[in-house]
Amino acid sequence: MLLLILVIGTAIAFDFTNGFHDTGNAMATSIATGALKPKTAVTLSAVLNLIGAFLSVEVALTVTNAVIRIQDSSGAPRPEFLANNGHELLMIVFCGLIGGIVWNLLTWLLGLPSSSSHALFGGMIGATLAALGIGGVNWMGDGTKLDGVVGKVILPAFASPVVAALVATIGTWLVFRITAGVAERYAESGFRWGQIGTASLVSLAHGTNDAQKTMGVITLALIAYGSWTDTHNVPTWVKVACAFAIAAGTYTGGWRIIRTLGKGLVEISSPQGMAAEASSAAVILTSSHLGFALSTTHVATGSILGSGLGKRGADVRWGVAMRMVLAWFITLPAAGLVGALCFWLGNGIGGYAGPLLVFAILLGLTGWMIAHSRKTAVHAGNVNEEWRAESKPGASVPAETVATKA
Amino acid sequence: MFQLFGNAIGQVVAISILVGAGLPALFAFGIRALASGAGGTAEVSGDAGRPAMKLVAWICFALVIAVIAVGLSVIISSGFGYRVSFDNIFPTFIKK
Repeated sequence: MLLLILVIGTAIAFDFTNGFHDTGNAMATSIATGALKPKTAVTLSAVLNLIGAFLSVEVALTVTNAVIRIQDSSGAPRPEFLANNGHELLMIVFCGLIGGIVWNLLTWLLGLPSSSSHALFGGMIGATLAALGIGGVNWMGDGTKLDGVVGKVILPAFASPVVAALVATIGTWLVFRITAGVAERYAESGFRWGQIGTASLVSLAHGTNDAQKTMGVITLALIAYGSWTDTHNVPTWVKVACAFAIAAGTYTGGWRIIRTLGKGLVEISSPQGMAAEASSAAVILTSSHLGFALSTTHVATGSILGSGLGKRGADVRWGVAMRMVLAWFITLPAAGLVGALCFWLGNGIGGYAGPLLVFAILLGLTGWMIAHSRKTAVHAGNVNEEWRAESKPGASVPAETVATKA
Repeated sequence: MFQLFGNAIGQVVAISILVGAGLPALFAFGIRALASGAGGTAEVSGDAGRPAMKLVAWICFALVIAVIAVGLSVIISSGFGYRVSFDNIFPTFIKK
């Protein structure tokens, strides 16, 4: 019972970091161009994430099936994990979630947008490798459909930023072509409305895609423990809790990430912002409707880069972009390593003490990272300050803050 | 695996370019028409406004909103077990 409560708690915490980490994907460009005030932007995004989470009625119970083998195709846990109230399955899920949270917080500290779903999958894969070995991971599926780590995680990760960048480049190029001759200030104010609309669509899409992953994980844990049996529905309280967690996370706003996306990659104008968000919304919604969801983060970053490529004379800071891509490459293994270490530690000690110790470590790391972030705080008040070239991750913070803290 | 992926991504690229670049372009036409309607400082040339163009602008904006509304209803309704049919030209919801 204690382990189940820990799993539910960490799942909701993960959902919170998921919202908080991804606010920038939808809102960074609107904040950067001044289409929306920072606080208004995060509030709007939070509300739309909340609505999106309730609209996602398709049951995501089989979410872990994409990468690991602990459930059958109906979503029920495999019978071999049901011993001792599903203890082993709960441990795998618990450690996987911790891997996801730790990686989300670390990349947030560094101001790097990285995929929350990759962090979650990475953690799950790591914990599964530690628990069951290589055979527990679904590497390729059976080859008849896109499945497994390769088909659902690695290939999409390579393709999605490229696709999004392509669409945004075309969109931006067209927009500037068409509005040539319109006074710049007049165009700016008109496109701000378009920006708000498209950014809202991205927020809505995020809520529908991401909240249901956590809903699926919690329901799986409940089934494994034996307190829920229906594989076609998610308990209402789980839905409500996840929807509010992701909305609260979004509202908190990962300002460090918003800053990198809005100011770090490209100096963005509102026509570019609208083209970028329209591309993100289109790519995310079409891919998830066709049944293979792409990472919101990879798509949003690709779109913003594309909006820089499509405008003549715009600078793209490739150094910042490369650092992000590097973070994407190590997301899966890094979150996996944390997941695996947690499993070895928690399972090695065993009983209640193991998971409690792992949970204590999570709390400690979280506290340390939050304390560390205070040194160079980024918040609604300074998120739009001038980006200083070639600054280090921790120093990509406004000059004013550094000066007062130094 | 790679072929399956290629097919899926190809579809996403095609639809996304159509919608994700086409709608901003349509919106841009709207802005341009609006500026032409307002005239004066709204345009680089500073020509006098042609009010009829404002109507064109609002038709563009209305089309953008309509496409988004249809797109969203296709996606959301499929989540609720419905599909949107265009058999009668006007979109109607049909239970799957």
